[in-house]
Amino acid sequence: MKILIVDDSSTMRRIIINTLSRIGYSDVVEGEHGKAGLEKLAQGGIEMIITDWNMPEMDGLEFVNAVRGQNSSIPILMVTTNAAKEDIVAALQAGVNNYVVKPFTPETLKEKIESLLG
Amino acid sequence: MDQSEIDALMKAAGSKAAPKGKKAKAEAEEAVPASAPAPEPAPVPAPALKPGAATVAPGEGGHVITEIDAVTAVTERETNKVMDQLDVIGQLVGRQRDLITEVMKHPGAQEANVQEALHKVMSSGKEIQDKVFEAMDLMQFQDITRQKLERIVHHLRQIHDYIVELLGTGLKSDAERASVSRTIHTTGTTPDERKAHADSVVEEFLRGQQKG
Repeated sequence: MKILIVDDSSTMRRIIINTLSRIGYSDVVEGEHGKAGLEKLAQGGIEMIITDWNMPEMDGLEFVNAVRGQNSSIPILMVTTNAAKEDIVAALQAGVNNYVVKPFTPETLKEKIESLLG
Repeated sequence: MDQSEIDALMKAAGSKAAPKGKKAKAEAEEAVPASAPAPEPAPVPAPALKPGAATVAPGEGGHVITEIDAVTAVTERETNKVMDQLDVIGQLVGRQRDLITEVMKHPGAQEANVQEALHKVMSSGKEIQDKVFEAMDLMQFQDITRQKLERIVHHLRQIHDYIVELLGTGLKSDAERASVSRTIHTTGTTPDERKAHADSVVEEFLRGQQKG
C-alpha cells in the first residue's frame, strides 16, 4: 500500500510518516505542495492520499480538485488546521473522503485510514 | 537556534542584540542619549523564503512577513533536530530490547528472578518507546504555531494597509501594492469558537449524499 503525503511542513510529514509506520504502512511518498503531489501521483502506484489544506504553490483544495479530475476512486484524507464547518463541507464537496483536524492523535489517524481502506 | 541566528533575527527586526549586564547597559545609554533619535537599522538581506511566500518590498511591511518566515523556518529545522534525537532514542531502545531478548535465552539467565528482572527492563523499554512516540506526536505544535503566526501577520498586514489608506500616505496602485503571501492569505487555524466537530460534519455530509 503506497501512500502519498502532501504537506508543506516537513515536521508534519515526518509525524504522519511515523504514525503510518507504527500502524503498518511504511511505503510512503511525499510532496510539499499540491503541484508536487500531482507529480508524484503521475508516477503511479499511489493507493491513498493524505493531504494538508494550507500550502504554497497549490493548496490542498485545488490539489483535491485536480486529483478528482483524473481519478475518482483513490481515497483522500485531508489533515488540516482548518476546522470550520464550511471548510470541512467544501473539502468533502471537492472530493475528500474523510477529514482530520490537527493536532491529531495516532489513534484518530489510524481509525480514519482503516475506515477509508475498508 | 544558535545565538548568531537569534542576532540575525533581532537585526532583521531593526533592534540590536541586547548588551549583557549593567555595564553594557550604561555603555549603551551613554552611546545613545535618551533624547537622540533612534538610528536607522542597517538594511539586512531578507532570509530565503519558501516557494510562494511573500514577495513584499522592504518598507512595505514585508519585513514582518520575512521575519515570520525566518522564525518558522528555524523552528521547523530545530523541531526536526529534536525529532532526529527522538528517533535515535527509539533506535537505542529497540537495540536494548533485542539484546535483552538474546540475554533471556542464555542458559545462565533462566532463574526466575533473573527472567523477572529482564521482563521489567523490557517493559520499561516499551514505556520509553511509547513516550518517544508521544513526544514526536506533540511536535505538531510547530506546524500549528506557524499557521497561527501567519494568520497574525495577515491581520497585521490588513491593519497596515488600512492605516496607510487612512492617512493617505504611501498609497500605491493595486499593481504596486505588494501582495500578502499566498500561504498567509490562505492559511488559517480556525478560531476556537468557529471550530466544528469534523466527524459530525463528515457524517452529516455523507448522510445528505445518500439521501440525494
